[in-house]
Amino acid sequence: METLSLLMEGFAGALTWQNLFWVVLGCFLGTAVGVMPGLGSSMAVALLLPVTFALEPTAAFIMFSGVYFGGLFGDSTMGILMNTPGQASAIASTFEGHKMALNGRAPQALATAAIGAFVGGFIASGVVVFLAPFLAEFSTQFGPAEFFALALFAFMATSSVVTDSAVKGLLSLAFGLGIAVVGIDGVTGIPRFTMDSPFLFDGISLVTVTVAVLALGEVIYFATIARFQREGQMIRSKGRPWLSKKELREAAPAWARGTAIGLPFGVIPAGGSEIPTFLAYGAERKLDRRRHDPQFGKGAIRGLAAPEAAGNSTTGMAMGALLALGLPISATAAIMLAAFRQYGLQPGPLLFERAPDLVWALLASFFIAMIVLLIINLPFAMVWAKLLLIPRHYLYAGITVFCGLGIYATSGSTFDLLLLLGVGIVGFLMRMHDYPLAPLIIGMVLGPLAETSLRDALISANGDASVLVQGPIVLTLYGLLAVVLLLTLRSKITSRTRRDT
Amino acid sequence: MSHASVSESSAPAPRADSERPVDRSSRSAGSLLQALTMPLVLAAFATYLLVGMLMMEVPDSVDFPGPRFFPAIITGVIYVLVVVEVINIFRHWSSGSLGTTDDAAPATFSWRSLVWVIGGFLAFALLLEFLGWILGAALLFWCVARGFGSKRPLFSLIVGLTVSSIAYIAFDMALGLSLPSGLLGGGF
Repeated sequence: METLSLLMEGFAGALTWQNLFWVVLGCFLGTAVGVMPGLGSSMAVALLLPVTFALEPTAAFIMFSGVYFGGLFGDSTMGILMNTPGQASAIASTFEGHKMALNGRAPQALATAAIGAFVGGFIASGVVVFLAPFLAEFSTQFGPAEFFALALFAFMATSSVVTDSAVKGLLSLAFGLGIAVVGIDGVTGIPRFTMDSPFLFDGISLVTVTVAVLALGEVIYFATIARFQREGQMIRSKGRPWLSKKELREAAPAWARGTAIGLPFGVIPAGGSEIPTFLAYGAERKLDRRRHDPQFGKGAIRGLAAPEAAGNSTTGMAMGALLALGLPISATAAIMLAAFRQYGLQPGPLLFERAPDLVWALLASFFIAMIVLLIINLPFAMVWAKLLLIPRHYLYAGITVFCGLGIYATSGSTFDLLLLLGVGIVGFLMRMHDYPLAPLIIGMVLGPLAETSLRDALISANGDASVLVQGPIVLTLYGLLAVVLLLTLRSKITSRTRRDT
Repeated sequence: MSHASVSESSAPAPRADSERPVDRSSRSAGSLLQALTMPLVLAAFATYLLVGMLMMEVPDSVDFPGPRFFPAIITGVIYVLVVVEVINIFRHWSSGSLGTTDDAAPATFSWRSLVWVIGGFLAFALLLEFLGWILGAALLFWCVARGFGSKRPLFSLIVGLTVSSIAYIAFDMALGLSLPSGLLGGGF
């Protein structure tokens, strides 16, 4: 019951007028960016990251959670209406969701998605509240070897599980790790790869790299290539934006199953909500096959409800894992981690002791964000679609200006702007040649952790490498990693036959 | 943001594949060079790390896994994977399948847009402190809009100035971030 009273204090902290304003603003901004075709929630977070530094930490993180979840809601709206998922995690929802829209059931599809996202996110937030303190306590047993195993898990999972080409994924990861070693070595104090330039002593800022690859690189890509590709027509959504009793009965079990599938993936560093959404979609499809009149392929409400719930429950749990373990499981969570560090806070077990106000207010704001998002998305999805009326060239010009604003405001140097451009160009090349960008971000965030724990473990064991594979937690992690990699291999082989046409 | 690779392979994006010429010179030297850009960039980066490690002065007192240990692993991994990727590319190239797989090589590429966007940003970065935020950001906005094929230069300029001024008011004056006032500094 201690948890409940802490949560109540959190609500008291989050429900001040000021913080309520930030969470609502975050929800609006996140949804707005998510709705834009091709722009996903991680871009929303990356763009807003530098700007939130003007706020005090609690307000900033509350706004962040609004942006993050809002982006997810917006992603699926456009996935359903235009078949352009803004993020990999919204792909599974578009299969049946877009078919529902094509069959004239767009408003019901939007409602199913919004309610599913709400259910998944809300339940996950509830689980996080009770699980996070335990996770935090559990992780106090972690030593260097355990942290190294966790980082390695995240590296392998994000670079090879989620991507099409393992070679490209690993290259992207290694590039991120390489960027992270620039700067003064944390263990010995020796400057590395700085060319004796004082600009590089503190290393290359994660904020700059994130904005460069996720926003500026995307702008260049869109300007030179993507805008010439034909886009799907948007389907207008007319009719009742709510669900009939029959539809609710149909969707409810799928929401529940989706949530259940999504939850465990929030603590497994396997690249976020992409895998669970596909798993949830696949599970519903298998169940559907056993029915008298299979609905899949014709716009099955369950095929939309389950992945939506799974995606948001993973995301919600991922925030818990980030707070309690300091472990980001997706690119967006990695950006949040960077934001925490910018404020001098280190997520992980100690955060619950050092900054309980912030943690509990943030957890409480998840619930508030979910409710706000349901309210602004359920009846008004078509209002959001009006944002598409902004001419493309002004939209992207505005995004570019925003990139420059954020980086200049946080660093105040021309050098960082030039670095932003340079990395942005590399990000554009990666995007053009189908290199995944998430491993780069994860590598940059977790690289220092992996390096220090690897060296600490080896130094304390006098260079004996066997110390890295000792202890139950470490062995479990490596075992789990092996299982995940095998499952990926299997699903990669079967995934080609998974879709209905 | 791995959606680029995934969305296009698992979800059929509505695209005009049929309009694309099939044997679009996928065996030309140009397409090979284009496919090799990323491996080249990565190899250059790994070489930068390698040179940095060779130049680094590490005192003898440092224990075994020193500051070169982790970068050495990364550099090795990048070199090995680059070689694998290059072999892959050459294999596809000689079989003529380079770039024909889904979307590896785009049908259209606008160099003009590339120059406008990158050049615009470069100018913005170098001139920002002299011009000040309002003029600099408006210039950036105008160049990017131009790169996206905007047809009305004067109107774009007005929109750009409006956007940059609003950003200045909201972030510099209201939120307290510091943006340079530059040329217009005397007037504010």
